[in-house]
Amino acid sequence: MASHSTGAPLPTLPEGFLAALRQIVDDKGLLTAAEEILPHVTEQRGRFVGATACVVKPATTQEVAEVMKLCCDHNVAVVPQGGNTGLVSAGIAFAEDRAIILSLSRMNRVRNLDPLNNTMTVEAGCILQNIQDAAARVDRFFPLSLGSEGTCQIGGNIASNAGGINVIRYGNSRALVLGLEVVTAEGEVWDGLRSLRKDNTGYDLKQLFIGSEGTLGVITAAVLKLFPATKERSTAFIALGQLEDALPLLSLAQSVIGEALNSFELIPRIGMDFALKHAQDITDPLAQPHDWYVLLEASAGTQQANLPTLFESYLELALEKGWITDAALAQNTAQADSFWRLRENITLCQKAEGGSIKHDISVPLSVIPAFIRKANAAVEAYLPTIRPYPFGHIGDGNIHYNLSQPIAMDKDEYLAHWDALNRIVHDIVVEMGGSISAEHGIGRVKLKENLHYKSPLEIRMMQQIKQSLDPKNLMNPGKLLPDTRK
Amino acid sequence: MKVLVPIKRVIDANVQVRVKSDQTGVELTNVKMAMNPFCEIAVEQAVRLKEAGIASEVIVVSAGPAQAQETLRTGLAMGADRGIHIQSDEDLQPLAIAKLLKAVVANEDPGLVILGKQAIDGDNNQTGQMLSALLGWSQGAFISAMEKDGDLLKITREVDGGLQKVSVKLPSVLTVDLRLNEPRYASLPNIMKAKKKPIDATSPADLGVEVAPRVKTLKVTEPPARAAGVIVGSVAELVDKLKNEAKVI
Repeated sequence: MASHSTGAPLPTLPEGFLAALRQIVDDKGLLTAAEEILPHVTEQRGRFVGATACVVKPATTQEVAEVMKLCCDHNVAVVPQGGNTGLVSAGIAFAEDRAIILSLSRMNRVRNLDPLNNTMTVEAGCILQNIQDAAARVDRFFPLSLGSEGTCQIGGNIASNAGGINVIRYGNSRALVLGLEVVTAEGEVWDGLRSLRKDNTGYDLKQLFIGSEGTLGVITAAVLKLFPATKERSTAFIALGQLEDALPLLSLAQSVIGEALNSFELIPRIGMDFALKHAQDITDPLAQPHDWYVLLEASAGTQQANLPTLFESYLELALEKGWITDAALAQNTAQADSFWRLRENITLCQKAEGGSIKHDISVPLSVIPAFIRKANAAVEAYLPTIRPYPFGHIGDGNIHYNLSQPIAMDKDEYLAHWDALNRIVHDIVVEMGGSISAEHGIGRVKLKENLHYKSPLEIRMMQQIKQSLDPKNLMNPGKLLPDTRK
Repeated sequence: MKVLVPIKRVIDANVQVRVKSDQTGVELTNVKMAMNPFCEIAVEQAVRLKEAGIASEVIVVSAGPAQAQETLRTGLAMGADRGIHIQSDEDLQPLAIAKLLKAVVANEDPGLVILGKQAIDGDNNQTGQMLSALLGWSQGAFISAMEKDGDLLKITREVDGGLQKVSVKLPSVLTVDLRLNEPRYASLPNIMKAKKKPIDATSPADLGVEVAPRVKTLKVTEPPARAAGVIVGSVAELVDKLKNEAKVI
């Protein structure tokens, strides 16, 4: 699956439709020139380029509602889009979708910030990092954090139920949303912006939209949960005795450090090698090379919590047990940040080593080491010189099980093995009770794979939900579920 | 040759510093503290001298409240051999610290004192120079390279307009600049070893030094907020604004 565009002709829009759109959003809210549309239909890794007749950018919920009503009346399908950083092409329109893109990027206001209730109400187009910063300014913490946080938008985060590096403590997006404002497929506005922690008044509808990948409605605003600002943070870069030791190490962290544990990230030696080779300003925190590392971080909302002492005694215990063989402890924020910069480069530097075939999987924590060993053996049997690159959020059972190409192989020749390798890896994942998409979603990229593994009943129940909320199947058709339009 | 490294506990360099509401100083409660970054470079340099066989012992010393011991432990974890804690809750100003260090030098008889060029809290850049004058030793401030050459140290100083290479006679007081080295991380085994290394406690009274502040802080305030920028329409407008509003040309 190399970079390609589908080549199908652009969809033609109904007569008068564009003019009606322009009436709603004005000139600055409507993009029709090819060069303006291109970034909105290009997947961030450059693997896919879609096609659409226009990108509409409403500035208010009311405008979104009018756009949706217009689309519904004219049977025009809509792909809601945030920061376009998704990894499964759920936010891009393709020619066969016959859809326009509805970008939420102009809806970027913080509507309300309530530190006493520990909530903030934000519009869908707010960039994640701006939300984190706004919370920090009132001495609060918004824990959702992921590599693309400088670009991705909260609406997309919620629609994809984004995970990231703090899931072990704070949960994924689903756990961080108290209320939603949604424009329905038919252009009505559902005001579900409740900032309540307890509200048992019927079906929890917001949860349907969280993780729905834009297939049920357009999320236009959300009430987010806030937490006390971090006052103390302990960060260590740890060498494991062996991969299997990650499990008792995590278990010990949960019993000694307790809920202060935020992040528990697995890094393989090959990741360190790639980062040292390709990234600037990266040094190996440890004196000797090791096969497996864990980046571990705990934090507390107060200085009195004595976290550093607890943290050190935890690591000493683990060293005595032999689960870890060495560790570097950050002595200040700059050192902690440098450990995280290394972690980010584990992701970024794959690109510099040629083709990489991706998997975003989860299995029960207890079988993660077994999964990695089994999958490594299977892919190496298929292609002996392949370079497995498993890393990620091992603390919540999620591994980015990526496969870098053999050193000498042609990139396209390697990427031709994409589907075959997906099947090998996903068969093992499913056999071990895991998920073929832990945090990236299904979108268009994993649609067939998901239909292959999920039971027909589960797919049918999802279709029934979709049918009831989007009867004309105009919300992001062909993503997450098959396109049933004629 | 013993090497003495005075180190300071300061607000972590990445923390946003806030002024206390009564304007008597900056907020220190519930704020992350760490070793002054220039002091880390000084410790690293001393440990490298020991690893190179030039230093026989590295002693870290810090003056301040009880928590200064945490900073000393960090120095010990980086490879210093022992620590000296001069316990004091006073507002310790550079001259007082220089006098305390002079007394420590008299007790310990080091051949070299290495300090950070300044601490990032007060940005005073005075203690090393004052200590050198009080001891009557040679001094090399803002060094970015050093090399032992017999009884001399060849050092490179970062000065306005470039680099200055000079030799200093031992004993000497050196203050270090950013480019001298990249401080190492504290490893877990070394942090554990550091817990067993001795830290001697002493006080200004024990050392016979009067530390009462000589400079009184009247008020601490935030710098004025920067005004928002404007986008100018043309070069002519820019020049006009620079001339008539900013009055810089």
